[in-house]
Amino acid sequence: MRRRIPEMFLGIGFVGIMTTLFLGLNWAPSVSINAFESPAAQRIFYWHVPSAWAAFIAFGVLFTGSALWFFKRSPFGWRLHVAGAEAGLACGLMTVWSGCVWGAAEWGTPWDWSDVRLNTFGLLTLLALFLVLGRQSQPDGVETRDTFSSFGLYGFVLVPLTYIATRVWQIRHPGPVIGAGDGGGSLQSSMALVLLIGALSFTLFIVGHMMISMRITHLEQRLEHAQKSLDGGN
Amino acid sequence: MAASLLSLVGLEVRRGMSIVLTDFNLEVDSKDVVVLHGKNGAGKSTVIESCARLLPLEKGSVHHHGSLVVDSEGRRSLAKQPFGLTLQSNGLLGDETVENHLSTVCSLSGMKTDLFPILDAYGLAHRRYDRIGQLSGGQARKVAVLAGLLPAMLSSEPRLILLDEPDTGLDESALAALISDIGQLREAGHAFVIASHHPEVMKCATRLHDLESETVQQQPKCQPWQALGIHENVSLLSTKTGHRYLRSTRAGMARNGLTALLVLGTLLAFIDPASLENQTLLVGFVLASPFAAGLAGDPVVHLMREQRAADWWRAHVNRLPAADFLAPVLGFVLTALGCVLFLDGINWKLSLIGSGVLWMTLLCVRFIELSTLRLARPNAVFIRLLLPILILPWALVVEYAATL
Repeated sequence: MRRRIPEMFLGIGFVGIMTTLFLGLNWAPSVSINAFESPAAQRIFYWHVPSAWAAFIAFGVLFTGSALWFFKRSPFGWRLHVAGAEAGLACGLMTVWSGCVWGAAEWGTPWDWSDVRLNTFGLLTLLALFLVLGRQSQPDGVETRDTFSSFGLYGFVLVPLTYIATRVWQIRHPGPVIGAGDGGGSLQSSMALVLLIGALSFTLFIVGHMMISMRITHLEQRLEHAQKSLDGGN
Repeated sequence: MAASLLSLVGLEVRRGMSIVLTDFNLEVDSKDVVVLHGKNGAGKSTVIESCARLLPLEKGSVHHHGSLVVDSEGRRSLAKQPFGLTLQSNGLLGDETVENHLSTVCSLSGMKTDLFPILDAYGLAHRRYDRIGQLSGGQARKVAVLAGLLPAMLSSEPRLILLDEPDTGLDESALAALISDIGQLREAGHAFVIASHHPEVMKCATRLHDLESETVQQQPKCQPWQALGIHENVSLLSTKTGHRYLRSTRAGMARNGLTALLVLGTLLAFIDPASLENQTLLVGFVLASPFAAGLAGDPVVHLMREQRAADWWRAHVNRLPAADFLAPVLGFVLTALGCVLFLDGINWKLSLIGSGVLWMTLLCVRFIELSTLRLARPNAVFIRLLLPILILPWALVVEYAATL
């Protein structure tokens, strides 16, 4: 049963994400027509915000894994790094894609190179893509792990920068709707409920994804070790 | 008592996922010729490259002439005395002439000499002014071996020489010259660590080391080598070398200049500057070409990826040769050209900003590229995915420049 936990997380997370989509598109109330250029497009927010939340969890795992490998040479840390990078890439792409769709409808342009939040989050996703593709292009070894772990550590600087971006330099990206620090919230309770289901579902999904990814990396390492033994190496 | 020329203390080194050396110790004194001769994969090259501070250490430390050069805590410092290094890959640039490369090696030792007799002994005198890329594989190897021997040939002070498979590709006469030179240099007080399986090279060892045990051999006395070098003050060697690489290859124009011109041409193909009134947009077009030229990366770093030339340099200096002159000059020229095309006349302030844009962009790209040099396949990594980080600062510079 314990071996099936990642698959269970993936399954429950997937069902939750589909539920969120259904509720977000059909059940949650519409936003004020006056406040938005394209109120219908705003419903993508039920996908965009939870996927961004999951992406930050993945980037946190990536940072932890990078630090564990870089400072402790922990094989478990390297598996965390690999899983965090892959999950960060998947969630980052979902967030960027949904944001671009909303931006095209609301602002008339999918991207704004002068907006700090868009740029820092886009860069985090590119960093994850760099780590995933880069790792696949290199033979496994301490040189590869050290180099990519150091990029993982440096790249994490972008996470707090992304978090504060809309609080400090709000240009195009909307300000925070949760944890804005003003005591109240701009969300109706039904909206907040859908968002909560979305955040929980994405979290379960991404945790399941990372656990499976770590298992695959572990199996790859065992396979490589077995091949080296057959080659007569150590 | 004088310190050893080389001291390896408790070395543990990984390559890939394997630990190649464990608790390896070696002391090399003046007049020692240590030949490492284990089986393939035993760690001979790892010892040489660790001595040259090219590999990070898991444990232990490396000392040259009693001073720490690298240790497992990450401390790295330049060897206080010059040393010779020949890697398994030659570490040569195809566009350099033989004379230029060996003169640079002399300069790294703070010396100069007439190279003719040395080249003549190895049958290379007639190739002195030829580009290394025009030489045969064996001739190029001779140049790499000479580059390794030169610090000892020039100096009357004991020098450490590290040679990795120096015999590979050498003909009989060159091998005989090498064996003879090793003997004479040893008599003059220099020390060698050589990785080789060649019986002739093994014969000239004073200590044969198979990475587990050591055998001592007696060597007959011979005439000691007479130092050939004259002291010379050298400054800004990395910058001068970078400039010379660019002059001889025109790589700066080929990579950065052409990239920028292509950007200008593409913009002009779609835009009529006379029809545009938005100043920020026009300044953006002007500064797009120096930015694109910077994104193409440092052309010297690109050149030095050939035959591990970057590693050879990294062993000897803290700062690799770079396109220091090219960046500001090219940035200024490209921006001035952009001003003529988009703004109807040269704007000096904007040209200076363009010069800075190219210089800063090139520095950032160079830093990112050098961060991946340790990888097994640095050219295969998707380094350009990280460059969009430079777009926001560039956009801010454009906005500022538009207000001038």
